[in-house]
Amino acid sequence: MLKLLRNARFRNWAAQALFLAAVVGVIVFFALTASANMRAQGITAGFGFLFQSTGWDINFSLLPYTPNDPYWKVLVIGMVNTLFLGSISLILATMVGMVVAAARTARNPMLNAIGTIYVDTFRNVPILLQVFFWYAVYTRLPPPRQAYSIFDTVFLSARGLFIPALDVSAIAAVGASLAVIVGLGAALWIAHARRFARKEPSLRRAGWLAVLALSFAVALVILFVGRGEEGAVISVPALKGLNFRGGIAIPPEFAALATSIMIYGGTYIAEVLRAGFLAVSRGQVEAATALGLRPWEVFSRIRLPLAIRMVLPTLINQYVWLLKATTLGIAVGFTDYFMVVAVSITQSGHTIELIALLIAGFLIVNYSLSTILNRINKAVAIKGLSTS
Amino acid sequence: MTDLADRVPLAQQPPKPGSGRVFFGSPVNSAVSVTCLLLIGYVFWHVLDWGVMNAVWTDAGGPEACHASSGACWAIINARWRLILFGLYPFDEHWRSGLACVVVVLTAILSCLPVFWQTVRLATLWVCGFAIFYILMRGGMLGLASVPEEKWGGLSLTVFIFASGVLVGMPVAIGLALLRRSTLPVISRTTGAFIDAVRSLPLVSILFTAAVIFPFVLPPGFQGEKLYRVIVGFALFFAVYQAEIIRGGIQSIPVGQDEAAKALGLSYWQRVRMIILPQAFRYALPPTINQIVTTFKETSLVVIVGFFEIMASGNAAYGTGEWTFAYVEVYAFIAMIYFAFVFTLSRYGAYLERVMRVGQQ
Amino acid sequence: METRQAAIQLSQVNKYYGAYHALNNVDLTIFEGEKVVVCGPSGSGKSTMIRCINRLEEHHGGRIVVLGTELNEDLRNIEEIRRDVGMVFQHFHLFAHMTVLENCILAPMLVRKMTRSDAEAMAMRYLERVRIPEKADKFPGELSGGQQQRVAIARALCMSPKIMLFDEPTSALDPEMISEVLDVMVDLAGEGMTMVCVTHEMGFARKVADRIVFMDRGEIVEENTPDRFFENPVHERSRRFLDQILGH
Repeated sequence: MLKLLRNARFRNWAAQALFLAAVVGVIVFFALTASANMRAQGITAGFGFLFQSTGWDINFSLLPYTPNDPYWKVLVIGMVNTLFLGSISLILATMVGMVVAAARTARNPMLNAIGTIYVDTFRNVPILLQVFFWYAVYTRLPPPRQAYSIFDTVFLSARGLFIPALDVSAIAAVGASLAVIVGLGAALWIAHARRFARKEPSLRRAGWLAVLALSFAVALVILFVGRGEEGAVISVPALKGLNFRGGIAIPPEFAALATSIMIYGGTYIAEVLRAGFLAVSRGQVEAATALGLRPWEVFSRIRLPLAIRMVLPTLINQYVWLLKATTLGIAVGFTDYFMVVAVSITQSGHTIELIALLIAGFLIVNYSLSTILNRINKAVAIKGLSTS
Repeated sequence: MTDLADRVPLAQQPPKPGSGRVFFGSPVNSAVSVTCLLLIGYVFWHVLDWGVMNAVWTDAGGPEACHASSGACWAIINARWRLILFGLYPFDEHWRSGLACVVVVLTAILSCLPVFWQTVRLATLWVCGFAIFYILMRGGMLGLASVPEEKWGGLSLTVFIFASGVLVGMPVAIGLALLRRSTLPVISRTTGAFIDAVRSLPLVSILFTAAVIFPFVLPPGFQGEKLYRVIVGFALFFAVYQAEIIRGGIQSIPVGQDEAAKALGLSYWQRVRMIILPQAFRYALPPTINQIVTTFKETSLVVIVGFFEIMASGNAAYGTGEWTFAYVEVYAFIAMIYFAFVFTLSRYGAYLERVMRVGQQ
Repeated sequence: METRQAAIQLSQVNKYYGAYHALNNVDLTIFEGEKVVVCGPSGSGKSTMIRCINRLEEHHGGRIVVLGTELNEDLRNIEEIRRDVGMVFQHFHLFAHMTVLENCILAPMLVRKMTRSDAEAMAMRYLERVRIPEKADKFPGELSGGQQQRVAIARALCMSPKIMLFDEPTSALDPEMISEVLDVMVDLAGEGMTMVCVTHEMGFARKVADRIVFMDRGEIVEENTPDRFFENPVHERSRRFLDQILGH
């Protein structure tokens, strides 16, 4: 027996079996305790509550919603809100990040200084504090009666930013935007991918033009199908009573979150991009210059593509991480996925099921986002260069 | 013997490199420099004007004095600093809360001295510091009045959650990293899946789960105060991120180090303790400091699960009564506190990184 | 007439890396006090073979018996063997975060349970033997390659091994430092240590080796005394190898 204990292979198997047993044991223990506790409190488990109506309202939704709608719908709306806020904030943050990274890597020390001041100021303050701050700022704007306005079409007030919009249902707007984005992506791919490099240039141009035209056509069709009842193409916000009607309202909660993620996330993205620029070896830049390329060509064809490829994995990490910042919505009352779950728990009492849905939802979103972005990364990565 | 420079006419000499050229080398460059300078100057002047010159510093005149002036209303800080820093802690015992914060800061500063960079010494230092903090805050002994955890608040609560989270999380992180590096596939893959899953979740949801779910899955009597449940959630979050950082450090160690130790006959635990972990931490130190800095910023999120730490106390400070307009000053004050901690920590991390790079061959 | 004890015995040893057959039915017996030099082209399996002796690699077929103990999955056996077999690596692998002295006393204290003062005294003796006592408190990063390798030899000797394995100890050194390491190894050989040495240094082989083992493609092709091997290699492959390395 003792000899068996000293056998390496036996120990390996025993260790793994024990580990598995321990993990399973812990899970089973939690499950049993949970069901005992729930029985003691008279709560029934099960996902049936998803089909009951919620009875409460939410303040931001891209899809139509009434308090009579079932729980599963409000969860979906929460997830859509999270993704919507996330995509807009990440795009804004990337733009800010690019500008700041350019400032920090410019040769002019003044620009460097501005970039550094920006990064150091906004990175060292917790994002929650920034969210609270911007929320306080946006809710202290003048009330709708005294709103700031530009040409009487755009209104900025404490109830939000109102802009004129196409008179279509929100889902049609999102659908049309998606069609355009997919079309743009496909067109870019056709225009730049190596796979099509051997085709005739005119054929290639025809290809991406056709794709672009097709996507716009699809978008227009979607908009037409989803247009509103009033028949007008564009609805302009107008003051009716205490608030504006028409147009699109960007509520202060959304604006506060988007602003904070843009500013805070911008600092991290700027740092990542800057590291990428610095990592491009001088030798390649010198070789390009020696070949006679002009500075802008060296930048756009050598430095930028190399820098992006080098930092893509890190950038992907940053995006996944920033997406989680949308959960701060609960601090200011923006109904993102997390807040919807939290309110559902207090209203319906089905804590464990909803927490499971919360975890599953975030796991799925994060996993999909990483997988898609990593696919893109693998496609464009430099072969032979080891990544961290 | 004349210099070449004397013989070549000035106009044909290449421009001497110097700072002037970088700032004003070309028309575009000059324009940019001047614009930036103006921008920085403008912002700086306005901040100075608002924050210092026109500001109201004392609360002697009450909120009316602030309304009357166009500058910053630092008077609110004067009036409400106790609330912001100490939360609902009993007024007479505020000195204990303040002293407890100072103790933790001192412990952190002492940890930066290389003399403490050994596991046993570091552990003893932190355990002592922590014990002193707890005794000061909790009281109930040594003649100090008892103050239960519900009353803790403000800066000291932030510091407490942060320090406990890191202290509990670090050993867990080491364990998770070693498990994930195991050569046994069942262990390494399960641990890997667990780490990746927890890392996908936002901290807010983990804190919320800790506060809400733990009472369900633990038998009555083990449920603990909400504060400690949240600390466990916080520590878990820190641990999974730190585990990946440590794993990266372990992977940076040349393979031969472990082999040489094996060849000398050292056992697994001896190798881990004396060869792998010390070197892993040396490589992992800069990202670890980064992670600690980020964790400190994230303590602010516990306000969402209902803790009266510094953000909540700040919101309360301006939210009630006559000072509701002075939110900028309150947030600026809290931001400066965070900034002080976070900036110092990151600068220290950058300094360490430079020093370590010099030492490595 | 004393019979020589077999220090290391490999019988029909095989090893695979996936489908790649790295060691092919290797039979080799090394006696106590013998100095064996193993040579051959790269990829011939010489490093793999000696790394199997102290279980840095696992063999898949056949038997390995070291100092009377069979090398198998029994952990007690592995530990016993590692205590008595010392190894010197091509890239030294000194522990970067410890001083030279600490490198040497670590294993004696932890594995042989020596006290710190005894271990330090012994370490200084070995450091003097490798002619580098003054560097005891320096870190490996502050030493040259040749100095580091000598410290590595001292570190292995501090465990009082009965067998010393050398895996291309001078291949990573600049030419002017090779001789200082070889001198130490020659001294060691003179004191009766059982040595198995993978190396390309044929001058050293001639001076010190009792036997040369030539390996190619995972097999032992030829074994002979150095004189006979260099003057009159039997196999075609050995001849080709000698031409290559002695041709410069």
